[in-house]
Amino acid sequence: MASQVGLDQETFETFRNWRIKRAEYAKQWKERTGGKIIGYFCTYVPEELLYAAGILPVRILGSHEVQDVTEPHIFAMFCPFCRDCLAQGLKGRFDYLDGITIAQSCLHIRQSYTSWEKHVPVDFSYYLPMPHHVQSKHAVPFLIKELELFKAKLEQWLGRKIEDKAIEEAVEIYNRNRQLMWRVFELRQGESPPLTGEEAMEVVLSSQMVDKREHNAALEKLLGRLAERTTDRPTGTRLMILGSEDDDIEFIRMVESCGATFVIDDHCTGTRYFWNNVEPNSNQLAGIAERYVKRVPCPSKDWPERTRVPHVLELARKYDVQGAIVMQQKFCDPHEIDTPALTKALNDAGIKTLFLEFDVTVPIGQFKVRVEAFLEMLQEDDLF
Amino acid sequence: MITAGIDIGAKTIKVVLAEDGKVLGKSRVLAGIDTAAATQTALDEALANAGLTKEKVDRFMATGTGRKDCAITDREITEVGAAAKGAVHIHKACRSVVDVGAEEGRMVRCNERGKVIDFAYNEKCAAGAGTFAEGMARALQVTVEELGSLALQSKEAVQMNAQCAVFAESEVVTLIHNKTPREAIARAVLDATASRIISMVRKVGFEKDFVLIGGVALNPGFVKAMKRGLESDVYVPEDPEYIGALGAALAAAE
Amino acid sequence: MSNKAKYKTAPLKCWKKAKELRLKYYDDYAKAHERGGLRWAGGAWTFSAIPSGLGEDVVSLTSEPYGASIAYNKEFSLRCLEATEKKGYARDLCSYMRNYWGSILLDEYVFGGPFPKPDFLWQDHICCSHAKWYQVVSDLEGGIPHFCIDVAVGPYEEVAPHKVDYLVAQMHDGIEWLEKTTGRKYNDELLIEAVKNEFRSTSKWAEICALNKNIPAPLEEKTMYSLYVLGTLNKHDKSTADFYDELRDEVQERVAEGIAAIPNERCRLMSDTQPPWGFLSIFRYMEQFGALSVGSLYTFGLVGIWEDKPDGTWGPRTTPMDQGIEIKDRDQALRLYADWMLSKPEWQHFYSPHIKTEMMIRIAKEWHLDGVMLHYNRGCEGLSVGIAENRLGLIEAGYPVMAFEGNMGDEREFDEARVKDRFDAFMETLDMKK
Ligand code: SF4
Repeated sequence: MASQVGLDQETFETFRNWRIKRAEYAKQWKERTGGKIIGYFCTYVPEELLYAAGILPVRILGSHEVQDVTEPHIFAMFCPFCRDCLAQGLKGRFDYLDGITIAQSCLHIRQSYTSWEKHVPVDFSYYLPMPHHVQSKHAVPFLIKELELFKAKLEQWLGRKIEDKAIEEAVEIYNRNRQLMWRVFELRQGESPPLTGEEAMEVVLSSQMVDKREHNAALEKLLGRLAERTTDRPTGTRLMILGSEDDDIEFIRMVESCGATFVIDDHCTGTRYFWNNVEPNSNQLAGIAERYVKRVPCPSKDWPERTRVPHVLELARKYDVQGAIVMQQKFCDPHEIDTPALTKALNDAGIKTLFLEFDVTVPIGQFKVRVEAFLEMLQEDDLF
Repeated sequence: MITAGIDIGAKTIKVVLAEDGKVLGKSRVLAGIDTAAATQTALDEALANAGLTKEKVDRFMATGTGRKDCAITDREITEVGAAAKGAVHIHKACRSVVDVGAEEGRMVRCNERGKVIDFAYNEKCAAGAGTFAEGMARALQVTVEELGSLALQSKEAVQMNAQCAVFAESEVVTLIHNKTPREAIARAVLDATASRIISMVRKVGFEKDFVLIGGVALNPGFVKAMKRGLESDVYVPEDPEYIGALGAALAAAE
Repeated sequence: MSNKAKYKTAPLKCWKKAKELRLKYYDDYAKAHERGGLRWAGGAWTFSAIPSGLGEDVVSLTSEPYGASIAYNKEFSLRCLEATEKKGYARDLCSYMRNYWGSILLDEYVFGGPFPKPDFLWQDHICCSHAKWYQVVSDLEGGIPHFCIDVAVGPYEEVAPHKVDYLVAQMHDGIEWLEKTTGRKYNDELLIEAVKNEFRSTSKWAEICALNKNIPAPLEEKTMYSLYVLGTLNKHDKSTADFYDELRDEVQERVAEGIAAIPNERCRLMSDTQPPWGFLSIFRYMEQFGALSVGSLYTFGLVGIWEDKPDGTWGPRTTPMDQGIEIKDRDQALRLYADWMLSKPEWQHFYSPHIKTEMMIRIAKEWHLDGVMLHYNRGCEGLSVGIAENRLGLIEAGYPVMAFEGNMGDEREFDEARVKDRFDAFMETLDMKK
């Protein structure tokens, strides 16, 4: 099947450039604004608070390059992503950071933070004990107090107060970003989505790296273009991808070159990042706490109920998904534990799944063989 | 005093006969299934090589992963201990030894007397040992030796994406299909092995001079990959695969 | 230093009793229904004193020691692991958990008979696998009510009222939930009793471990495993608290009389994380060199509760009773309980390996160690988290470290010959000969 593959340069150039040249962007941003930059390790970090303090929060991600520097720091039974992230620090690729922070999530990524803290010293570091029992009514009050502590630490570091007004404004900008992302993603519900999974991934990833104000402006422009955009690219099989952290653009591109399009995801590098808004609240920190407690959870916090199951099924229904790729970072325990239940739920709903285990780099050739077989099976289902 | 060091490895058995630090004779045979018989053959060959009889040998010392099963002596020294002794004897300034054999890699940091200070093993990952390169050479339809010289000719660096030995083999096949030059594939394979080994080296932390021993040290492509990765000179002694046996022979004399 | 016997040794008198108590525990659990009682399951770290308020006939099955008991039985363990894998669960998950699930899937209790299904699940959560473990148990058993308390509020050095509040609020919810789930009325008297027992047993265990600072060490780690296990089964039970009193007396006596764990002690080590349960023989192997493990943060601090003593050393935490605090009501009991548990040494490293390194260096100093053996345990992400940084930290502090890979509960990932080989090399570096 001949189809346009890869990224539409013109429409998505800004987003891709932001991602590829993230260090350059960050350094320029600093020069331009005189502000500080904090790297964060997990999307449970309440970025609004940092942004309100005039700080640019940027997510620390890996590079998908084989490396040999983390063996002394992280035992090999932990996921490749946490090692890849740490490698970036050890290699000095984030030399523009003034600080680092993490919100408590899984054990794996935590190690990137704790090793970074010791071996790549920065001015400011903070471990936010984000509650795990997000289904308890006591999680929000607890987190409010923790946010107060976090805020105080930031203020102490910066030597100035973070005003309520600034938080309110940051919340607005972040919410705006979420709404715009929603609208972009909604377009993928249509019969022929005006953007591919690869393009959508570029949009989300870049949003974790740049100033949300600028990202918002770019998104508005993008929405205008997408409204008119027609592609001659056949959609093919409509796929969903879900699982651990995933920014493997090369993999997405490969799948979309095989007669398929990703129309939706459940990743912290995708919908999980922007799905929930901060609801208006007279107490700004309470509003933020509420948002992070009630957001679509990482499996490490999804208990005792598995709320991700109905959420994923609902996404699959809304986006008219024909098949799902369930991926995980190798050794990612939280996802591994959920995989059987999630796979079963999807299969019971008539959605077939293909399971793949990702490493820092994936063997594209081998994965392609599997993906093609999977797509063939789905297409055969279509015939009968 | 004449001593014999017997290194019983996963694939081969090496024997070195030494007197006052000088090598009198050596031999290497495949371990095969009957280790006891192979050990005997190796010893006999080394004796013949040195023009000696067994009675002339004052002491024996076994090393290597199979040392506990040595039928000739129950005196033993660990492979890291032997590696350090042998390497420092050959290269006085040696403080770090990497020993890459067929099935595992080892890193040893030692002092000027060849005493081990710290060590690490690369286990659980075939990609960090000789067998891996052999398998990949097979996939490329060349010998391991050719793999090394091919790699040296490569001008480009491609990355092996497969992180495990099983996938790596089919990745090599994919690369061949994609018309990636064989030289580049050979280099990718050896870079991947070196990267595993360097990970382990960093774990122990390395001090110069750095000596590379074991069978894989004979592969020039691998040695170059190590130099590149470590950004350091790497010394390869003559007969790198005999250093463990030599170390055992030296230890026997102590 | 010679490797000759220089200390007298004697078997531990309490040993048999520990064994009996352990077997009785597993038997009581299996028979609880026959006796009209209730069965619950949860982790070794859970607030086990709380379900005690439901009545004296409420008994538990703690998950990790049960998983370890399976691991000890290699043949059964392999069947369990395979059953779990067949169900689609990944091989690199917590091996206790996989053993445990396998036992349910096979419907075999490692102590004989079918797997005794619990009536409810009562868990706490600090490792990512804790709550998820029982989510799956509930799936496999066709649904069991499950309550779990999040305790991951940060290290104890940063404890603050709102952190304790968060735990206590969940505990109160839990008690309400227990009443609703079991239809029983909750008895605060029983709760207070159980909480007091737990203060007593966990502090006493620390006291026993502190006695091992003595040279020669009165206990070695392999023996300690069989003793500390009671604190992982029934830390809130009077039988455990009483047993530790008795044990403390005996160990004190051993110290006074110079009775050693091994006669040729000359190299004092500690380990880290759970041992490979199917291969405890490695501890005997060590003894040939005159080497022994005097314990670990794991054996000391998984159950034991510690504090800084006025002289700067590490010792048993003073119980609220010894501070003269009278526990009058539920809320007060829960509050003290939460604070007590939050100081558990084995909870601190979840936030930072550097805190753990500090504790390990402290043990190395106060227990007069010559080296450290780190078990890079593929079976437990919770205790292996940050272990590579611990290695770096210990080396920096001047302690020789031997790292070996293995798995506490999956023998396929433990290579006994190789580990002995590593140990030989380690002993060579320390100039120890057999
Ligand atoms: S991985 Fe370790 S800490 Fe986590 S549940 Fe299993 S035994 Fe417990």
